[in-house]
Amino acid sequence: MNKHLLRYVLYFLPLPVFVLSLLLGPSASAGMGKILSWLFGQPDPELNEELIKTILWDVRLPRVALTFLVGGSLAAAGNSLQALFRNPLVSPYILGLSSGAAFGAALAVTVAWLPIQLSAFVFGGIAVGLSYFLGRSRKTVSVVSLILSGVIVTGIFTALLTVIQFLTDPFKLQTIVHWTMGNLHNASWDKLESAGIGIGIGIVWLFLLRWRMNVLALGDDEARAVGMNPERERLLVLVPATLAASASIAVAGVIGLIGLAVPHMVRMMLGPDNRQTLPASFTFGGAFLLAVDTCSRTVASFEIPVGVFTTLLGGPFFIFLLKKARIGWEV
Amino acid sequence: MGSINAAIEVEGLSFSYEERPILENVGFQIREGEFTVLLGRNGSGKSTLLRILAGMLQLKQGKIAVMGRDLQKLSAGERARIIGFLPQHHRPVFPFAVEDVVLTGRASYVTLAPKKEDEEKAIRAIERVGMAHLRGRPFTELSGGEQQMVMIARVLAQEPEIIMLDEPTSHLDFINQAKLLGLVRELVDGEMTVLAVLHDPNSAFLYGDHFVFLKDGHIHELEEGENPWDREVLERIYEEEIDTVPYGERAIVVPKG
Amino acid sequence: MEVSRLLTVVVILLGGGIFLSPSGLFAEPISVTDFRGKQITLEKPADRVICLLESALSGLYMLGAEERLVGISTNIYQESVFAYYAAMDERIRSKSLATPGNWDFVNIESVVALQPDLVIIWSGQEESIQSMEEKGIPVYGVFIERFEDIHREIEALGKLTGTEGRAEELVRMVREELDTVRERIVGKEKSGVSGVKKPRVYFMWAQGTLETSGRNSTVQELIELAGGVNVAAGIEQEHLVANLENILVWNPEVIVMWCNDRMDPVDVERLPSWRSVAAIKNGRVREFPDPFSCDFWTLKYLFSVEMVARWCHPERFEKVELESLRSDLLGKLYGGKLGSTLPSLEAEEGVKP
Repeated sequence: MNKHLLRYVLYFLPLPVFVLSLLLGPSASAGMGKILSWLFGQPDPELNEELIKTILWDVRLPRVALTFLVGGSLAAAGNSLQALFRNPLVSPYILGLSSGAAFGAALAVTVAWLPIQLSAFVFGGIAVGLSYFLGRSRKTVSVVSLILSGVIVTGIFTALLTVIQFLTDPFKLQTIVHWTMGNLHNASWDKLESAGIGIGIGIVWLFLLRWRMNVLALGDDEARAVGMNPERERLLVLVPATLAASASIAVAGVIGLIGLAVPHMVRMMLGPDNRQTLPASFTFGGAFLLAVDTCSRTVASFEIPVGVFTTLLGGPFFIFLLKKARIGWEV
Repeated sequence: MGSINAAIEVEGLSFSYEERPILENVGFQIREGEFTVLLGRNGSGKSTLLRILAGMLQLKQGKIAVMGRDLQKLSAGERARIIGFLPQHHRPVFPFAVEDVVLTGRASYVTLAPKKEDEEKAIRAIERVGMAHLRGRPFTELSGGEQQMVMIARVLAQEPEIIMLDEPTSHLDFINQAKLLGLVRELVDGEMTVLAVLHDPNSAFLYGDHFVFLKDGHIHELEEGENPWDREVLERIYEEEIDTVPYGERAIVVPKG
Repeated sequence: MEVSRLLTVVVILLGGGIFLSPSGLFAEPISVTDFRGKQITLEKPADRVICLLESALSGLYMLGAEERLVGISTNIYQESVFAYYAAMDERIRSKSLATPGNWDFVNIESVVALQPDLVIIWSGQEESIQSMEEKGIPVYGVFIERFEDIHREIEALGKLTGTEGRAEELVRMVREELDTVRERIVGKEKSGVSGVKKPRVYFMWAQGTLETSGRNSTVQELIELAGGVNVAAGIEQEHLVANLENILVWNPEVIVMWCNDRMDPVDVERLPSWRSVAAIKNGRVREFPDPFSCDFWTLKYLFSVEMVARWCHPERFEKVELESLRSDLLGKLYGGKLGSTLPSLEAEEGVKP
């Protein structure tokens, strides 16, 4: 398909997915048929208008909106970090974001007075900040040193998380484990508000930087030669990417695959120019996660953490990548 | 020719890396509109010197004036609009299209997104180096010679006053080498100032105007009446026996043995 | 002549005594089957018992067999239950009883050092159980899936500790109380089916508002005994996360919350997406007061049933303060050891590990 056409398909994909997601759900009384009847004013004795309105407004709409934002921001953050690290196999969690946030959530679950979302958000940010400062040597922050300190920080927070898991009682342990699997079933207008700010600022900021990511992605020397300071640019990209991804994790737990696979797929379809891939990653990532979540909540009578599905999909995805031998690592 | 001005003036430049001295008290001038070549053995400090002049390494000791302005006082953007630097190694990771690679050269003129004007200048730069037929192709699919030409186009897109090249021909076969250096010669004849580190003195003598020799971190001044391609000079610099073969007004050199 | 006749009588009496006494030479050994299906045989009632399961521990106290304890689980000293056990037992108050393990780990060395003749533990701890049995220590494994299992456990523990009489008494009492509750709800009709409307009940675990239990669970039994209907009965699982949409469709009339330190009933009533739920509109959201009294892995499930029954059918029970109902039942179960010295429900809030 023509690249140009493909681009617009990716940009507008969210619309049909959004609408479909609103129409689908596990309960028969708010099933697609009933909603369409209600919308088009068809008489139906079994129609419970109040119920449909409540489900659409209080349950599905916030969930669909939140899922889209989370998927989109993870994909956009992933895209940006892949440019920053000059590596198409980087995920937004590479600098310890997910382990820091998981630790924050576990801490909050154990210490009842700490709000889980805030704790996850703050500790996610602390982990990334720590990676960044550890990775600095003589005022330069090279890609390799960042990745290495990311590995160290991830290890530290994972260890701390393990300690908490060990000390806590079985009920809390279960809560912690469920949280790390990633879930959207508690979506609400409140969560949308609290996450929306962080995600919004992060995404807009990244959007503004999308061309500069192209320059950064060519290499440090190359960037410096044309007048850009690579260390500063890295920080300028890292901050909003972390903000958006951290806000997402805080409300939805750790959802894997999206931040890594979606930008990759988008790049395969549109090429590596971040001016196109960044917005497309956002829309496609949002639509993708939305599709997965809608399937999972419609099919089963109880909730399965969405992270389970994304992780399961991850395996075959990487096998597919290996077969196509499109992986390259240049630092 | 118009008045010959100093494009770059270097005075008392010393540089060391982790206690190891690389350059000591280096001083020289580069003239506008000339092709100057830095020559010396591996480890003589020529690449380091070039990178300092290009603003890629922080100067600790000494003074550098570029087009009459103090290099230290220039912002990165101002510097990039004066000096176009081509680094030695390039490892492309993403398959950017040629025109997008060249467009990044406009970074010092762009804040957030390049305008029509920037895109046009990038296209003209691509045409200047004769790569217009490849403008939409992924950079990673080009041959070594083609890639290097594209990188030169990128430098040209910066609209610099001085171009600095760090061993631009090291990975090229001798045909492509000639093409690239021929292009540089054309640019210089069109009033561009070029400073390059070349590993092969013959390339230097075939295409260059002015030559600066570095030995063990020091500038090696020529004696009265000496030519850069004289056997004695080269044997002093390279510390090996050299044979020279006259070529036009200059000579081609060959290590003996 | 008198002497030999006297001697014969004495020998007969002594022999008969030995025969007849329960701890005599020919007394039958004690044999029970645990929840793994394994048979545990003891020569005589255990008097050095290590109990690593809090629910079984409370059973031992109900049976009056606590004197036989030499080791308990670590969480007794750390959690809110500490206050209750401390009120019943000086050794726990002074933290002098050994803690060689917990429901999920066992320090084999410490166990062996205590020289127990019986260890009670969760049957899922296979490796630890094997370690102990290899060393000749009898292990009784527990796994509660329904309330009947609790009765079975109490009866077995009664046999193992020589307190069968008390065990029988306890089980009988609980069954009678449950009958009373049922009669209150359905009236004295022969069949249980009547015009009683069973309210729809949603049980909310503390991990999250959407966490509940389905058909195959003690929660289901609890709700049924209390004369209600579990809204999640359509799903088989013991523990599951429900979809908010489904909850809205099920529209429970009563919401029962397990002890929750993050949320109170008012917080649930304020949840914006739940406002259309009947239980919230009618203010019928209730929370269990404390994990110790309501523990439905023990005979205290009776108290849970009594509470939920009153929340489901308030008009069928006389008005009684929760506090006095609690101390009444706990007093009966623990044989008066708790009751007058019961930590109050308000003070309970402040007791943290």
